[in-house]
Amino acid sequence: MMRTGSKPAAIYFIAILLFFICWPFLFQNSALYYRVMTMTFFYGALALAWNVYALTGNISLGHAAFFGLGAYGSALLSYYWHTSPYLTIPFGGIVGALYGALWYAVFRSLRGARFALATLASVEIPRVIIDNWESFTFGSLGLIGISSLTTLRFGSIVIAVGESLKAQYYLLLCFTLLILFIHWKVMKSKWGWAIRALREEETAASMLGVNTNFIHFATLLLSAFLTGLCGGIYAHLMGLIEPPLVFSLHISALPLVLTMFGGRYLVYGPLLGALILYPLDQLLFHSLLPVGHSILYGLMIILTLLFFPRGIGSWVQKRKTAS
Amino acid sequence: MIILQLFINAFSLGSFYALVALGFALIFGVTHAFNLAHGEFVLLGGYLAYILVGQMHFPFLLTLPISMLAMIFVAVLLQKLLRYVNEPYELNTLVVTFGLALVLQNGMLMLFSADYRFIRSTAPIIELPKTQLVVTQTQIILILTSLLATTALYILLRRTFLGKALRATIQDREAAKLAGINVRRMSLIGFAIGGTLIGLAGPLYARTAYLYPSGGIEATLIAIIITIFAGVGRIRGILLGGWALGIAESLTVYSLGTGWRELVSSLFLISLLLLRPEGILPRRMGANG
Repeated sequence: MMRTGSKPAAIYFIAILLFFICWPFLFQNSALYYRVMTMTFFYGALALAWNVYALTGNISLGHAAFFGLGAYGSALLSYYWHTSPYLTIPFGGIVGALYGALWYAVFRSLRGARFALATLASVEIPRVIIDNWESFTFGSLGLIGISSLTTLRFGSIVIAVGESLKAQYYLLLCFTLLILFIHWKVMKSKWGWAIRALREEETAASMLGVNTNFIHFATLLLSAFLTGLCGGIYAHLMGLIEPPLVFSLHISALPLVLTMFGGRYLVYGPLLGALILYPLDQLLFHSLLPVGHSILYGLMIILTLLFFPRGIGSWVQKRKTAS
Repeated sequence: MIILQLFINAFSLGSFYALVALGFALIFGVTHAFNLAHGEFVLLGGYLAYILVGQMHFPFLLTLPISMLAMIFVAVLLQKLLRYVNEPYELNTLVVTFGLALVLQNGMLMLFSADYRFIRSTAPIIELPKTQLVVTQTQIILILTSLLATTALYILLRRTFLGKALRATIQDREAAKLAGINVRRMSLIGFAIGGTLIGLAGPLYARTAYLYPSGGIEATLIAIIITIFAGVGRIRGILLGGWALGIAESLTVYSLGTGWRELVSSLFLISLLLLRPEGILPRRMGANG
């Protein structure tokens, strides 16, 4: 997709993008469509952010830590100092990145299954602290009434992002495109080759002059920052957060499932996974099984790993090279 | 006196943790499969016992063999599923069983709802003579079964021919193959024995802690911690690890309050991963008991 050398990829990309831009003009304005697609873009962005680090071959099961810290960082800043959401969200990203730096400092020698386990356990630390620090974070009661995204003014154009579902839809579309762009840059630059070399064989990569420590540090920090941003957006979009919600296993699991399903070695893989699975979950499974609809994600990850380990995006890729 | 009472509680809690960990440790040791759905399996056994006791009025101790048989079946199914996993085996089984954990969690949510369940004990609390110390029947069952299960597993691994083959598989799969051991059959047997132990832990879980669908991850973490602490293939270490974790958690709750309990296991796991990286891998030398 985008400019990978082949023209059709760029055409597909623009066609799909136009489809999402034009949908609201072509069809009836439906609140359900906006709500579902906004969250689809949101989870797509989350999956892309997750994959920035997963490209190095290290699977994280603990990105909910960055997400929750980003959400709490931006919500608390907005709650105590009434800062504009457009400043608190980047602050949430920075809080996430700080925890990412801590991860790097502590887990730098861990790889593979051991890294995955350590990340799984590390979500509990900020969660328990926030849960118990009631005087500052309101503990398990959660934060309620976080200010919604404020109205944007560009000269004469006024966009009420807080109230309009349509505005939120376009905002999240832009945000996801931005993260897609970063993800593309990470994969297709010279840096991307270094990351790929690192994934295949770390020792050999460092012999060839790849600064493996720096790559690990920079990708983890970037991934944590972007995940923190997602957390901040979530807090302002939803208006309420509580520790079990933002530090949940679901938040850690979803990017993994979406990315694996879509194709973890493709620029658009994580987003493709979100575009297919999230609407399927919300529109079909949610009405069929109101309580246990997340079963879809569990099934999908098992099927993906057993039967098409490179994700369904690789089918698109294969057909294109065959023709 | 309160310290002694605390110690009794910590000791029985630790025995319970060891029981939860035994099945995971054996399966991981023999097959290197990282079963992140372990806690959900334990919960399944717990829910089975809850239904048997609550709706069919079975005596509690009878639910143990039933749950053990059921879990052998489930564990063998898992072994069949994991045979299709590609390399890198450890990481991929981790991800597949993570998905399985999500499936089971949601399945249990549909079947049993998110309510907290518990098998109430009707037995009176036993007071030790001449002291103010009290012991519940559940605590006695926990300590006895954990000792029994550990001893049985120890004898199986150390005193029988099958145990010898299993230990050989734990130490070095390739060498075991060369020595004519059917590694695939050993992995099936490992899963079956692991399933038995999971089935033993399930009903006791329902008796000791609250059952709720998303509670499995905590049991999984405990099992992983103790397995790493013990080192693969070291059965006695599991009991020690369980007690150490039980005592650490009880002391934290006693000094800081219940809210901080969950932090202990996470910090324990992270420090073990960092400080004992060899614990998670099969030891090159002397995996003796």
